[in-house]
Amino acid sequence: MSIENNPAPPGAVAVYDERQRTILRGELAGLVAMTVLALGGVIALSMALADWRGFQGWRADSTYNYAGVQQINFVEYLNRQKQAIAQPSVEALQAYNVWQQKNPQTVNVQVLTQYLGPQYNTTAKVFEYMSKYFTPGVGQSCEYCHNLENFAAYDKPQKTVAKAMLIMQFELQTKWIDSIPRPEGQPLYQLQCATCHYGKAQFWNTDQKNVPTIENLAMFGIAGGGNPTQYDMKHYGITLNGKPPASYEIVDDKLLAARPDAKGEVNYFQVTATKDTPPGLNDTYRNQAAMYHMNTALAVGCDFCHYGGYFKSYVLQDGTFKWPKSQARHMLGMVQDIAINWFPQMPKADPTRGDLAQPNCWMCHRGHVVPPGAYTPGEGEVPQKVSDPQIKPLVDLPVPAPKLPPQ
Amino acid sequence: MATEVYRESFERRTKTVRYLRFLEGLADTQVGPIYLGMWGALAFFSYLLCVFITAIGFGEQVGYNPIRFLRELPVLTLYPPPPSAGLRMAPLQEGGYWQLATLFLSLTLVFWTIRIWTRAVANGLRPMVPIAFSAALFLYAAIYIIHPIWVNSWNEAPPHGLRGILLWTNHFSVKYGNFYYNPFHMVSIFGLLGSTLILAMHGATILATLAYGAHREIDEIEKSDEGTHRAQLLWRWVMGFNATAYSIHQWALGFATLTAVAGAIGVLLSGPVEPDWFQWACRADIVSGLQKACVP
Ligand code: HEC
Ligand code: HEC
Ligand code: HEC
Ligand code: HEC
Repeated sequence: MSIENNPAPPGAVAVYDERQRTILRGELAGLVAMTVLALGGVIALSMALADWRGFQGWRADSTYNYAGVQQINFVEYLNRQKQAIAQPSVEALQAYNVWQQKNPQTVNVQVLTQYLGPQYNTTAKVFEYMSKYFTPGVGQSCEYCHNLENFAAYDKPQKTVAKAMLIMQFELQTKWIDSIPRPEGQPLYQLQCATCHYGKAQFWNTDQKNVPTIENLAMFGIAGGGNPTQYDMKHYGITLNGKPPASYEIVDDKLLAARPDAKGEVNYFQVTATKDTPPGLNDTYRNQAAMYHMNTALAVGCDFCHYGGYFKSYVLQDGTFKWPKSQARHMLGMVQDIAINWFPQMPKADPTRGDLAQPNCWMCHRGHVVPPGAYTPGEGEVPQKVSDPQIKPLVDLPVPAPKLPPQ
Repeated sequence: MATEVYRESFERRTKTVRYLRFLEGLADTQVGPIYLGMWGALAFFSYLLCVFITAIGFGEQVGYNPIRFLRELPVLTLYPPPPSAGLRMAPLQEGGYWQLATLFLSLTLVFWTIRIWTRAVANGLRPMVPIAFSAALFLYAAIYIIHPIWVNSWNEAPPHGLRGILLWTNHFSVKYGNFYYNPFHMVSIFGLLGSTLILAMHGATILATLAYGAHREIDEIEKSDEGTHRAQLLWRWVMGFNATAYSIHQWALGFATLTAVAGAIGVLLSGPVEPDWFQWACRADIVSGLQKACVP
C-alpha cells in the first residue's frame, strides 16, 4: 500500500500521536466506567430481583452457621415472628377445675394412653399435656376443641380433627423420626403439634396455595429465587394429580409414585447419568427445583447435605459421611408418607376450607436445620409403636433402607 | 482535529466514511461503510425471524404486557420439547417455538459465517476470521444440534432465555456427573484462561509502547529501539522468551479456538461415550484423595 509509505507532511505525526494519547486516556476512562457500571448493574439487578421475587429475609433469621448449629426453640421462634404464645382462657381454666374435681380419672382418653402409657389415665396429667403442647401448638384455648361442660365429649369437629392429628403425629414419630439415620450422640427430637402448626390452627391449605400471591407463596416457603414458575413446571413435566401445580413444593406425581426397586433403593430425585439413563434434562430441572426448596426450607447451602464435587455421593472427599443427606432422604420418605397416607384422610374442622395443602420441608423446618417447633430432646415421653393404630395408613408404604456410612 | 494525512488516506479508500466526533475520545471515529450483500441479507432476515419467534414465545408468557415483559425478561424462557417428543416436531407451545427459533438461529450463524468468508476473500484476505468463527459455530452446533440428535432428544439442548441458558449449563454438568472432571472441559478452560491472559498481555504491551509510537506500525517495526523492540525485550526479560508481532496473533487464535473446539468435544462425548465424568476421573485416577466418593 503506497499511501502509508508516503512521507507524512511535517507536524502531522505529532498531531496524530497526541490524538492517540487522547484515545488511550478515553479508553482507560471507559474501562473504569464500564467496570463500575457492570458491578453496579449486577448489584442493582440482584437487589431488584431479590425484592421482586418476594425475598422475605428469613434466611437472615437462620441460626445455622457453618461453624455449628445454634438451635432456637419454639418460644424464640414465636418471638421472632412477633406472635404471642397462646394461653388457656380464664373461663376454660375455671371449667377445667370444676371438671377435674368431678373426674380425677379420665373419661374418654384413647390416644395418649395408647402411645404414651397409663399415666394419662389421670385428668391432671392430660391437662398438663393439653396446656403444654395442644394450646400453644395450635394457638387456641381449650374451648376451641372442647365443650367446657364436658371435656370428654366429641361434640366439636375440632376435637375430632385434633385426635386424628395426634394419631398422625405419633405414627410419624415412630415410623420416621425415631428411625432417622443419626450419628452417635445426636439427640432425638420429637414431633408435636407446634412442629407443623407453629401456633396457628389454620396455616396450610390449598385455598391459600392456589392463589400464588407473593405472601401466600412465602407462607409455604416457596418464594425463593430458585423456584420454577408455573410455565417452567409445565415444561419440566412437573405435575400433581396430572396438572401443573400452582407452585412447586417437592410433592409431585413422580415423588408420590417413587417406590423401592429390587435392591430396596428409592429414587426420589436422582439424576446423575449412567449408561441406561434415558435422554432429556427435565428430571434434572425437577431435581434442582427440589434442591432449592430444601436449601430454602433449612436455610442451608447445597454443601450442608452434599459433597459439591459429586452430588451423587454420600461421603466427602476425606471419607466423612454426610449425615444430613441421608437424613434428608429419609425425610423425603416421610413427606411422601404424609402426602399419600395421612393428609388425605384427615377430617375437616371447617367445611368452608379447602383440603390440606401438600406437605413439604418448609412446613416443619421454617428456615432452620432442626424445626424450632419440635420437642427439645428429653422433654417429653417417647411414644411407643402400637400394633393397632385407630387410623391406619391408606397404603402400605415400605420404608426405604437408610443410607449409612460404609463400615 | 484528526490529522489530515490519515484522514486523506481513509478517504481515498472509500467515499462513504463517516466520522462521529462524539466518539473521538473513546475510539476511532470512523464508521462504515457496511456491506450487506446476499449472505448479509439472509443472515439479517433469518435473525429477525429468530428474534420474532422468541418475542412471540416470550410475549405469550406475559400476556403481551410490555411492563411484565421487561420485569420478567430474565426468567422468560423458550423450552425445547419434552423428552417424550424425541426429535419430532412439537406443537408450538410445547417446544415448537424453540425448534423454530433454533432453526433460524442456526441458519443465521451459517449465513453469517459465509458472509465473513466471502467478504474476507473479496478483501484479498486469508479466511482466518471465518475459520476462527467456525470454532464457535462448532461449539454451538455440538450443544444445540449434534448432541441432541446423538442422544435422540431435543430436550437435552439449552432453552432460549437469560436464566434458561444458565440453568442448562448447571444441569448438563449435574446430569453428567460434574463437568469439572471432563478432561475436554479442562482443556477448554485452559484455552479460555490462556486466551484472556494472552489478550491482556498483548493489549497491555501495545498500549505500554505508545510513547515509542506503537500505533505507527510500519515506522516502529522498521526502526530499532522503537516500541516493538522494547516490548519484545520486556517479555524476554520477564519470562525469557517473546512472541513476535506476528506470532502473538497465532497464539491468540490458537488458544481461543481451542476453547470452543475442546468444549464442543467435551459436550459431544457426554452421555453416549461417558455418562459420568466423576467416575471417569476415578478410573483415570485423577481424583487423588477423593476416592471415597467413587462408586466401587
Ligand atoms: C386442638 C384441640 C384441643 C385443645 C386446644 C385442647 N384439647 Fe383437651 N383434648 C383434645 C383431644 C383430642 C383429647 C383426647 C385425647 C386422647 O384421646 O388421647 C383431649 C382430652 C382432654 C381431656 C381428657 C378428657 C377425658 O376424656 O377425660 C381434658 C381434661 C382436656 N382435654 C382438657 C383440656 C384443657 C384444659 C385444654 C386447654 C388448656 C384443652 N384440653 C385444650 C383436644 C384439645
Ligand atoms: C404433620 C403436620 C401436622 C401435625 C404434626 C399436626 N397438624 Fe394439625 N393440621 C395440619 C394441617 C396441614 C392442617 C390444615 C390447616 C389449614 O387448614 O390451614 C391442620 C389442621 C388442624 C386442625 C383444624 C384447624 C381448623 O380450624 O381448620 C386442628 C384442630 C389441628 N390441626 C390440631 C392439631 C393438633 C392438636 C396437633 C398435635 C397433636 C396437630 N394438629 C398436629 C398439620 C399437622
Ligand atoms: C437438605 C439436604 C439437601 C440439600 C440442602 C441439597 N440436597 Fe441435593 N439431594 C439431597 C438428597 C437427600 C438427595 C437424594 C435424593 C434421592 O436419593 O432420590 C439429593 C440429590 C441430589 C442430586 C442427584 C444426585 C444423584 O444421585 O443423581 C443432585 C444433583 C443434587 N442433589 C444437587 C443439589 C444441589 C445443586 C443443591 C443446592 C442447590 C442441593 N442438592 C441441596 C439432599 C439435599
Ligand atoms: C413433619 C415435620 C417435618 C417435615 C415435613 C420435614 N422434617 Fe426434617 N426434621 C423434622 C424433625 C422433627 C427433625 C429432628 C429429628 C432429629 O434429629 O431427631 C428433622 C430433622 C431433619 C434433618 C436433620 C437435622 C439435624 O441436624 O438433626 C434434616 C437434614 C431434615 N430434617 C431434612 C428435611 C427435608 C429435606 C425435608 C423435606 C423433604 C424435611 N426435613 C421435612 C421434621 C420434619
